[in-house]
Amino acid sequence: MLSRREMLFNMGGGIGGVALAGMLQTDGLLASETGPGWGARMSVLHHPPKAKRVVQMFMGGAASHLDLFDHKPFLEKNHGKKSDFGEHVEAFQNGLGPWMKSPFKFRRYGKSGKMLSDVVAPLGDCVDDMAFIHNMVGKTGVHSQATYLQATGFQQPGFPGMGCWISYGLGSLNQNLPTFVVLPDRRGFASNGPKNWDAAFLPQQHQGTIIRPGAQNPIADLFPSGSKFATRTADRKALDVLKELNRKHQSQNPGDSRLEARIKSYELAARMQLSAPQALDVAKEPKHVLEMYGLNHGKRSYSKQINAVEEIDYFSMKCLVARRLLERGVRFVQIWSGNDNGFPRRNWDSHEDIRRDHGPLAMGMATGAAALIKDLKQRGMLEDTIILWTTEFGRMPSTQGSKGRDHNPYVFTNFLAGGGIKGGVTHGPSDEWGYKPLDRANPTTVYDVHATILHQLGINHEKLTVRHNGIDRRLTDVHGHLIKPILA
Amino acid sequence: MYVMMAGLCLGGSLVLGESKSAGINHFHRHVKPILERNCVQCHGEGTTKGKLALDSEQGVVAGLKAGVLSAKDGSESALIEAVKGPNPDMPKDSKPLSAAQVAELEKWIAAGAPWPKGAKLVDKRLADQKFWSLMPIRKPAVPKMEGRWGKWVKNPVDAFVAKRLLEQRLTPSGRADKRTLIRRLYFDLIGLPPSPEQAEQFLKDQSKDAFEKVVDKLLASPRYGERWARHWLDVVHYADTHGYDKDKLRPNAYPYRDYVIRSFNSDKRYDRFVQEQIAGDTLFPGTPEGVVAQGFIAAGPWDFIGHVEVPESKIDGKVARSLDRDDMVVNVFQSFMSTTVQCARCHNHKFDPISQEHYYNLHANFAAVDRAPRRYDADQATLAKRKKLMSQKTGLEAKRVLLAKKVDALKTPEMKALEKQIASLATPKKGVSPSNGYHSAFSNKAEVVKWVQIDLGRVVRIDEIRVFPARPTDWKDTPGFGYPVRFKIEVSNDVGFKKAKMIADRTKADVVNPRNLVPKFKVNGIDGRYVRVTATKLWLRDRRNYALALGEMQVYGSGELLSAGRGVTALDTIDSGRWNVKHLVDGFTSRMPIAAQFKANASMAELRSKLKKLSETVLPESVRVQQQATEREIDRVEKALGELPAQGVVYTATVHRGSGAFRGRAGLGPRPIHFLHRGDVTKPGKLVVPGVPPLVPGEPVAFNLAKGHGEGDRRAALARWVTHKRNPLTWRSIVNRVWLYHFGRGIVDSPNDFGRMGQRPTHPDLLDFLAIGFRDGGQSIKKLHKLIVMSATYQQASTMDTHRAKLDSGNRFLWRMNRRRLDAESIRDATLVLAGKMNFKMYGPAFRDFVLEKPQHSPHYEYHKHDPNDVTTHRRSIYRFLVRSQQQPFMTTLDCADPSMSVPKRNQTLTSLQALALMNNRFMLAMCEHMAKRLRGAHRDLAEQIELGYRLALSRGPTADELKVMVGFAKKHGLENTCRVLLNLNEFVFVD
Repeated sequence: MLSRREMLFNMGGGIGGVALAGMLQTDGLLASETGPGWGARMSVLHHPPKAKRVVQMFMGGAASHLDLFDHKPFLEKNHGKKSDFGEHVEAFQNGLGPWMKSPFKFRRYGKSGKMLSDVVAPLGDCVDDMAFIHNMVGKTGVHSQATYLQATGFQQPGFPGMGCWISYGLGSLNQNLPTFVVLPDRRGFASNGPKNWDAAFLPQQHQGTIIRPGAQNPIADLFPSGSKFATRTADRKALDVLKELNRKHQSQNPGDSRLEARIKSYELAARMQLSAPQALDVAKEPKHVLEMYGLNHGKRSYSKQINAVEEIDYFSMKCLVARRLLERGVRFVQIWSGNDNGFPRRNWDSHEDIRRDHGPLAMGMATGAAALIKDLKQRGMLEDTIILWTTEFGRMPSTQGSKGRDHNPYVFTNFLAGGGIKGGVTHGPSDEWGYKPLDRANPTTVYDVHATILHQLGINHEKLTVRHNGIDRRLTDVHGHLIKPILA
Repeated sequence: MYVMMAGLCLGGSLVLGESKSAGINHFHRHVKPILERNCVQCHGEGTTKGKLALDSEQGVVAGLKAGVLSAKDGSESALIEAVKGPNPDMPKDSKPLSAAQVAELEKWIAAGAPWPKGAKLVDKRLADQKFWSLMPIRKPAVPKMEGRWGKWVKNPVDAFVAKRLLEQRLTPSGRADKRTLIRRLYFDLIGLPPSPEQAEQFLKDQSKDAFEKVVDKLLASPRYGERWARHWLDVVHYADTHGYDKDKLRPNAYPYRDYVIRSFNSDKRYDRFVQEQIAGDTLFPGTPEGVVAQGFIAAGPWDFIGHVEVPESKIDGKVARSLDRDDMVVNVFQSFMSTTVQCARCHNHKFDPISQEHYYNLHANFAAVDRAPRRYDADQATLAKRKKLMSQKTGLEAKRVLLAKKVDALKTPEMKALEKQIASLATPKKGVSPSNGYHSAFSNKAEVVKWVQIDLGRVVRIDEIRVFPARPTDWKDTPGFGYPVRFKIEVSNDVGFKKAKMIADRTKADVVNPRNLVPKFKVNGIDGRYVRVTATKLWLRDRRNYALALGEMQVYGSGELLSAGRGVTALDTIDSGRWNVKHLVDGFTSRMPIAAQFKANASMAELRSKLKKLSETVLPESVRVQQQATEREIDRVEKALGELPAQGVVYTATVHRGSGAFRGRAGLGPRPIHFLHRGDVTKPGKLVVPGVPPLVPGEPVAFNLAKGHGEGDRRAALARWVTHKRNPLTWRSIVNRVWLYHFGRGIVDSPNDFGRMGQRPTHPDLLDFLAIGFRDGGQSIKKLHKLIVMSATYQQASTMDTHRAKLDSGNRFLWRMNRRRLDAESIRDATLVLAGKMNFKMYGPAFRDFVLEKPQHSPHYEYHKHDPNDVTTHRRSIYRFLVRSQQQPFMTTLDCADPSMSVPKRNQTLTSLQALALMNNRFMLAMCEHMAKRLRGAHRDLAEQIELGYRLALSRGPTADELKVMVGFAKKHGLENTCRVLLNLNEFVFVD
């Protein structure tokens, strides 16, 4: 144990050292069934956990609660009538037109009788495993800040993503793959790009690692590319020689565990080269599984317009890859839907036309999400895997133009499933228009969601802190309450 | 009955009165200290948490009314409930009150919470200056060390270190060997490895001052500034994009980066360095540094959408601007004073003597500025000339107005009517023409050939060519815009004009600009398919930008318009906005449809000549002569202004004059700054004045500024205060930073926080010795470097020792040197040097090691598409274009600083992704190839090639064993892979 502590100090006691300390622990100390994993900051959990893994689905551009999950009969009755919020509303653009009902029909599902819109109908099979929170509130209607807030708990850049904190606190469940994996939208990054999963002041290894299934290098620099001399054989031999020379150097410079750590890091890298491609090879998935994910239609080309088939293909594939990664011990997977604000619009920011953009995006998302929930459930993994569906903010119950909706930071929806979350629950209603929480004094915030997820993982959100520039930072800043009604 | 009542009341109040005075005494003795230490920080005016204020009578009366302070039905009051028990809710985030303290509060509440009239409690922590970093810096005596210790001590630094070692019963390590020393010193001072020759020369040099000579040489090297500027840029979180959403480019940020490099290289006095960055434009007016250095204030991220798309009147716009100022304030305090003022945005600082009001006082210092590009002259002479010319221009323009008034008075009603008619004809009818016309790319000289040509589709008879000068509507109204000074018009049958017929040759002499007239060139029946206008001398647009532009061109033949909508090509074109090649033949001049233009021209000419005739009879000649002379003078001044060396542009803090949502404060004065309850822009409190927290003894909190002072005076006062001799933080902060970069650990190892949440100095006397020596000894950072690296402490070996490690495993007391992993820039730069590819070109726009896509909206920075063999990127890493939202993955893996936050100390992680990057990244592979080529070029023999590789990478030759292993490997797998192994060695990546 001395050498571990020594090393912490060698690193100047900095957090880099602490996390590195974990890296060396390859023996039985780690990765126990219920304790923290390999490379963890925490030596024991704060309380017994209900969950070990997390999947976060993030809808870039702000998905409309009113057109997916939060049914509003009031809008159906008053569609087209002049909107009246009973107070002054500061709209982001000019979206204070007449009341607008959803262009999609809502139907009842499951024992709980949850109303879902037709574009998320595939989730109908899962509603009794899901908990909806309809009174989420944000702080801003600006995409960038809102995305930061939901992803990192802070509105400004410079703070670690939720996955980074969980990687930092709990470490890894495997030694061959990154702890925190990000599956970005194929069309590009959402607002803020990689800053949403940046380690910021946490050590680099807790940053989300981008995986692009199907790419030649699904992880950056996993294999040498475009080089004539870096062949597989040369690689292997180079690693052998490197190890031999590094070992010699180490024996001449005893007592510095970082030298050992660096030698180990090359062994880990080699292991990742073997396991990552296996984890991403979905070809061997049985037919019924591909069918469940909607990936069996055999189509190869898509229409130029945004369309459901293409959305299903891409989003569902990420969900399937997520399951394979979770099975192999990846702790946190973040799946993105929607890119930044370019034209034509390929995200959820439907200022112009809810039906055109939300329709296909939602169908893709719901198909993948439903398949993932069912798949995990069949494998007995849903009980210790939390799924969180979130977005930047909601959209207004009034129209923008004639078919779009403006930003609504005053209320939106999240859903959670698995990992000890109670199924078939709808928590915290929004008001009859879906404009603000029904009980304005008691909304739910991102801090509450983060606190609840950490709690399920065995972490007290107030205790997982890192001192940075004079402040003990935590994921939930100085806020956060458990959302008890959604816990099983 | 009545009497009884009165009596009762009287008696009652009498009793109350007695207990009240006892209660007041109790309050002063027992309750007040508890409240001041534990409660009023959050429960006070302006920060009332839970709507309870415990700092004033008013607050307590309200608390009584609300029932928080009174017991009901035998149960405890809400206040007592909150503080009592083993895990009380209050005080939040700090130690619970003792049982005795709770009992005192209970007693107070039981007495009805009495309050002394008018008493106001203050946060006691704010008055507490008894903390090491806030104490005045005093010059400590240098410890006298004797015997063995005395021998070890080389300079005062060692004496302080030795004293601490002795106290800890530790002993120092021996001097590192020369090879280790030279490698350490090179990476440390210039961020690059010594060349084999440089290392060899040092090893051979047996003179006593061999090491010192190298130190002096490296400190004088321009490479030094490039290395140490990087450290500073980490701290101030500099980057070349805005960050946030739509992470737009900041192409003009680099002059600040260059300023920092130059400042280090010239060893600028530190107080000047600080003052220039906070208020250079005010304290050093007229110097280019004064403007460029303020890039410091603008260095951090900027919320483009929050400023450009959301006006300041909206909540989101207010939030964006408030957070923007927060970043400026924090940057000053964190960088220069290692103080965390940001903690006081929503409440008083919980640990340090900074109140929330002090924090907003600081906002007021930056209330007028925004982050925006600003022009500056490269030298004082130019600036002086520009100022002179500008003042002449202002004078002449005033004269013009004066003369016009004189003339006005003399004008007859008929003349006025004519003028009105002309003006109405000449007034651009907005939106009438959808386009300006054709505009070539810019040139920086006049004598450049540019052409534009029309393809008539077939060979056809041509009779007349009309050339319409441009007069763009989105530019200041300029008739004759873009019309070439010299040109020719030709007709040809082949697209390349190999054979051409000359229609008009105006290349021999400058032509008079036709302004609103339309030159017509009669041809009379020449056959041809292509018509080309070739400019040989371009029109001067502004400063040094020359171009060819035309509003429209028409080709007629046999009474028919042949050119309408035909294909147009040009040597080059700007094709943006209202300019496009196809607009040359779209039937519109810059202002109107062509038919209208003709009519207007005809009637205007007629009106003008009428007017001219009238003025000649009405206006005295003297006035007319004066008018002409003034116009000539104005032309001369404008020309002279145009001929001055071009101004530079830097992204900096400036009083911005903008449009749309991002208006800035030009002409409006500083924004009024309000105290914000809980930091919430929707809850503004009172207006605050510019000022500072009470951290410098004897200096007032509010700046003493005259009424109507300039906005820069606030920043100037702040800059003077930061660099005040008695400022206890500034001098300690900088010497600690320099120390940290030399040892990998600060004397205070929380370099951005010298507050109560930060670390304590391991060598407080040494810190003060260095701080005072620096402050009073010329404020030379180079002198400080030399003092440190010449010490025995710095020159120790880094060898581990288990015995001493048991006493001080973290090496806090410096019984050895710290082994350090190379930072990202050093690895990249050293790799370029080893590969023989480094280009040491200094300064200028940043190189981009990515491909930029979709820059119009949200730029995509595609690093994987960049060619690692692109030589423009083979420069030192400090010149790299730093993107905030998408950081360069290779550098990030190596713990490169994240420019979204201040990084006072880099992490040194060792991860498998880092191993993959060093093995497989395309940059590394490309450089391995170049390095192998270099080795082959130097030697024929494989063993010698490998030996050179070792000397380059490790400053030593290989051992016999190593050579054997590497030669064997190289024979099978090539020299490229051998270089790959070398660049991945622990010995390469670590510095001993």
